Amino acid sequence: MKKEYVTFVRRLSDLGDGKETLFIKDLTPGPRKYDTKLVRAELSRNSGNLPDGDTLWIRSETGHLHPQPWSIKILEELPPYAPGQPWQDVFSSLRHLKS
Amino acid sequence: MAFSDLREFIAALDKSGDLVRVKKEVDWDMEVGAISRRVFERAGPALLFEKIKDYPPGYAILNGPVATWRRVAIALGLPPDTAVREIYAAYEERREKKLKPVVVKSAPCQENAMTGPEADIYRLPAPMVHDGDGGRYIGTWDIVITKDPDTGWSNWGMYRFMTHTQNMLTGWPQATSQLAMMMKAKYLPRKQPMPIAIVIGCESLCHMVATDPYKPGESEVEYAGGLRGAPVELVQCKSQDLMVPAHAEIVIEGEVLPDKIAHEGPFGEYPGYRSGTMSEGVLVQITAITHRTNPIITLSTLGVPPDDSSIAASLTAAIAMKRGLKRHGVPVREVYVPPEGVTHLIVVSVERGGSRVARQVLDYFTARRVMVSKIIVVDKDLDPFDMNQVIHAFATKCHPAKGITVEHYEGRANALTPCFSAEERRRLKGASVVFDATWPEDWEEESIPVKSSFETTYREAVRQKVLANWESYGLGGKP
Repeated sequence: MKKEYVTFVRRLSDLGDGKETLFIKDLTPGPRKYDTKLVRAELSRNSGNLPDGDTLWIRSETGHLHPQPWSIKILEELPPYAPGQPWQDVFSSLRHLKS
Repeated sequence: MAFSDLREFIAALDKSGDLVRVKKEVDWDMEVGAISRRVFERAGPALLFEKIKDYPPGYAILNGPVATWRRVAIALGLPPDTAVREIYAAYEERREKKLKPVVVKSAPCQENAMTGPEADIYRLPAPMVHDGDGGRYIGTWDIVITKDPDTGWSNWGMYRFMTHTQNMLTGWPQATSQLAMMMKAKYLPRKQPMPIAIVIGCESLCHMVATDPYKPGESEVEYAGGLRGAPVELVQCKSQDLMVPAHAEIVIEGEVLPDKIAHEGPFGEYPGYRSGTMSEGVLVQITAITHRTNPIITLSTLGVPPDDSSIAASLTAAIAMKRGLKRHGVPVREVYVPPEGVTHLIVVSVERGGSRVARQVLDYFTARRVMVSKIIVVDKDLDPFDMNQVIHAFATKCHPAKGITVEHYEGRANALTPCFSAEERRRLKGASVVFDATWPEDWEEESIPVKSSFETTYREAVRQKVLANWESYGLGGKP
């Protein structure tokens, strides 16, 4: 059974096929639904390219849901935070984490 | 009479017919939010959801404690049908009173405790409020307490907080908020975490004080006591050096981390939009969660008005603005914050108008952090609480070229103002405008247009005659 997750991006173009570090929320029903993880994962907009991947829904900065989900294969779960000071842009911090 | 806790206030709402108890099981995942939004948009009652899916019997969510003027009046101990202007007057009269809090050794809010690694936020039914929010918001109608490490001043504010993991929250106090100023000035330079308590479910006046823009250094808990007419009882937190209201339903204790951040937002906010602030907030490590037996989460399903924010802030912001304008030398008579304007639109009534006064008003609103984008200044010949009269004055007295003044700024704008672009919101760049709907001060009285209304165009004798004979004209009703 595939699991489902959601992630938020400023713009869809910020996300690309391949390896990404991103926050995802677990959509498994129950009292822990929406629990957040920071993961390094393989992403693909085409589920056929990641046959053993889970479903990743994507929402924009204003919460708009993109109609087509992507596929995600979690490679590694990281501690659920990025380095940075309060009010700093988390996405910039994640980009530094990747490089 | 002060309500000692939220439960007494709920009983009062029940008695006055301003509360509905929802006994059918509801899903914390958007069903509670959708019901609450629908009821808000019909100016309906407060809702107490008594059976929440996935959670033990007795755990409850209260939506909309003060989302109507009736409920604000009840919170203040006034008759439910008190007029808005009288509610304003009562709040203004009590706002400057102070009563020192009383410290107690044991408290209802600590009947149950989860400390250290046992703390698990998912044991509370934090709602997923709107479809598309960034997460489950446990803090929508809360009191957030932090302390200045040098002076000992405890600040109360109201900021949004969402669940992140079992023992972490993320939140978004605006970067210009008092909480942000304290963190940036006192904790970040020392690379220290800032103790924080997120308090949920107090009697309503404590929450309203948290929305009131008291100046830094002022003790909100003392003002809450003054407003209630009874001191607030405080208890020491279990894991942080902070004092919290003893009769709260839930207290989440933790630390704002100085060197770690995480995803936060977006959230359907008080201006009535999910306007895009995301992932530029704070991360809180939870160190303890305490709560009453059968805890009640206070919720405000924010969105288009009316809701608790648009109603309560109408009151608390207006009185604070009136005081500030007076200090600034503006000949202010009254300030009205129409709930429909979600604190973006303000009506200022002045003793004497003109462009100089309008400029003074704009200067006051844009001097520091700017939460207001449109101000209408009106003369004393109309009732600023009557938006029909305000719109008439705006339409007829505000000169389209000379009556409008704009002030641009950067670094202190309201990041939630929907008409600002995403880039402007990120840079806190914006503008505010004053509409001068008063007569120019250099116009001679004989040349000022005369308002054609019953009160202003007929002599006293004629008016008295018409009013006295009203019934005999066959018109019925009150004249």
